[in-house]
Amino acid sequence: MDLSETEETVRAAGMDETPLIRLVDVSKVYHLASGDFTALDHISLDIMDGEFVALMGPSGSGKSTMMNQLGILDVPTTGELYISGKNVAGMTNLERTHMRRDTIGYVFQKFFLISLLSAYENVEYPLILKYKKRDTTGRAEAVLKSVGIDREMSAHRPTQLSGGEQQRVAIARALVNDPKILLCDEPTGNLDRKTGFQIMEILVGLHREGKTVILVTHDPKIAEYAKRTVTLEDGRIVGS
Amino acid sequence: MRDIFFDLSVRSVKLNFLRSLLASIGIVIGVVAISSMGMLGTNMQLQVKDQLSQGANTLVITNDAVRIGFPGSTPSASSSSAGITKTQLLKIKQAAGTGVTVIPLYRTSTEFTLGSVNGRSSVYGIAPNDITSFLTIANGTNIQGVNDALVGSTFATNFNLKLGNRIHIGKENGTESRPTVRIVGILKARGVTSDNVNTDNAIIVSRDWYTDHYGGVDQYNQVNVIVKNIDTLSAVKTAIDAKVNTDPKTPVIRIQDASSRLSSITSTLGTMTTFILAIGGISLLVAATSIFNVMMMSVNERIQEIGILLSIGTERGEVRRMFLYEALILGILGGGVGGLCSLVIGYSVVSAMIGTTAYFFLPESIVYIPGGMIIGMIVCIISGLYPAWRASNMDPIDALRSE
Repeated sequence: MDLSETEETVRAAGMDETPLIRLVDVSKVYHLASGDFTALDHISLDIMDGEFVALMGPSGSGKSTMMNQLGILDVPTTGELYISGKNVAGMTNLERTHMRRDTIGYVFQKFFLISLLSAYENVEYPLILKYKKRDTTGRAEAVLKSVGIDREMSAHRPTQLSGGEQQRVAIARALVNDPKILLCDEPTGNLDRKTGFQIMEILVGLHREGKTVILVTHDPKIAEYAKRTVTLEDGRIVGS
Repeated sequence: MRDIFFDLSVRSVKLNFLRSLLASIGIVIGVVAISSMGMLGTNMQLQVKDQLSQGANTLVITNDAVRIGFPGSTPSASSSSAGITKTQLLKIKQAAGTGVTVIPLYRTSTEFTLGSVNGRSSVYGIAPNDITSFLTIANGTNIQGVNDALVGSTFATNFNLKLGNRIHIGKENGTESRPTVRIVGILKARGVTSDNVNTDNAIIVSRDWYTDHYGGVDQYNQVNVIVKNIDTLSAVKTAIDAKVNTDPKTPVIRIQDASSRLSSITSTLGTMTTFILAIGGISLLVAATSIFNVMMMSVNERIQEIGILLSIGTERGEVRRMFLYEALILGILGGGVGGLCSLVIGYSVVSAMIGTTAYFFLPESIVYIPGGMIIGMIVCIISGLYPAWRASNMDPIDALRSE
């Protein structure tokens, strides 16, 4: 939204030709007792490094399934998904886990912070996963500060924070390992409108810093923050 | 610096403190049960071993067809049968060599009358000069006259005997007059010994009196060989065996040393200890079920949290570790408290059941406390294995959807 045409052009020119995310004829079929259900139906899509993409569509259109694929929480039934040039299907479970930890940051609608940890510890947690030690570099605190959470607030448990504050902490957690991709599943869905726009401003700022942001939303106003909108219906892309 | 997964486990236990505490109480009970039972059995073994070691320098030699007097029979000269013969006794003495005391003795069981009281007792026939070589007279004198007798301390206490009292030996039949002995001494208590001479509840008469009334001259029920140096016991045993049992296929005498008797008794007590330990182990099994239940509850309550952990890059092994830590914390809690309780309860049980705590703090006894604690912790970890495995193998998408 805030990027000028010039900035966008410069970034586009500097983009690598290889997409950061590539879906090639991806289908996801759930085998239910009532019969097979196709959640994603032969989807092909390229998302370049540094893009800000909104995924839209009605309920049951396959948005969440798509996010699960992009977040490699799930694998396609058929087709291929490449992230940073790597075919997800060919990766081991541990490699996928490490990719989730290092390359992908996930922001959920319900924040999904760990209630047993303080806000600071929630943000520090992915650093501990990656470096196998407590953060002594000040990285967690710096990232929290960048999303507007000060030291005093970061000592609180998630239940002691407002929805907006929790989502800021969740964004900080997603960012702390400096991932290339930020997946945001209805990040404003549980927030009031004003707080929602504040969160979107943070996401726009991250995009401006070069992050690839993929956002799932129902709200056209929110989708307007993205530079590209992909619309899904019945598991197919009907607009991009 | 503490592991974040350990921190999470500690916080989870604190969050559900009461539930965790109740589950740990099961482990406390289990640890106390196996530690106390183990210590009780071991203390019993140690005490018996100690008592038996009194006769540890003794070889007990018997004939396989040992003559036994007929219970309740009136003494007569007709009850002799195969025992250790005079020739065999001579060979034993020759083989045993010098520095060894050889004590042939007779033994039977008989009824007796003391005043108006009838009873039954063992009767030993031992030469007076042999008596003092392995028995201690606590009160009175040794046998001097032909009708003199000694009695064991328990016998004297039970029948309120005094020196000079007379005992009629044999069953009262109203027609025959029965032989009578006069108590001249009371022996010091020996307890359970390994030389197969249990005098505490017995009457000891001279060999001559015995053979006069029971017969069987030079047909000894038992010969005890006492060595001065216990290290020579095995060599003496071999020498006697070679001298008397000339045909190994048909041995005429059986030689038992204290070690074989000791190992036989301690082995029996060991089996008993194992049995009571197994009973204690049942309570740990019950505790394991309780821990398993609590761990499953913890996993079920934290499904969404597991989903979050997995979706942001936690390895499955790390999730597994987190839940195993939780089980271990319950084990440490239960094992620690159980260990302390075992010290107090075990001490009380041993004191009440055995009557002495002299062996309680010996390593072989006290080792049951750390042993019980470790077993308690292992039981907790084993109980946590399946819940931890289940948590780590959850589908993160399903876990995140759970409410």
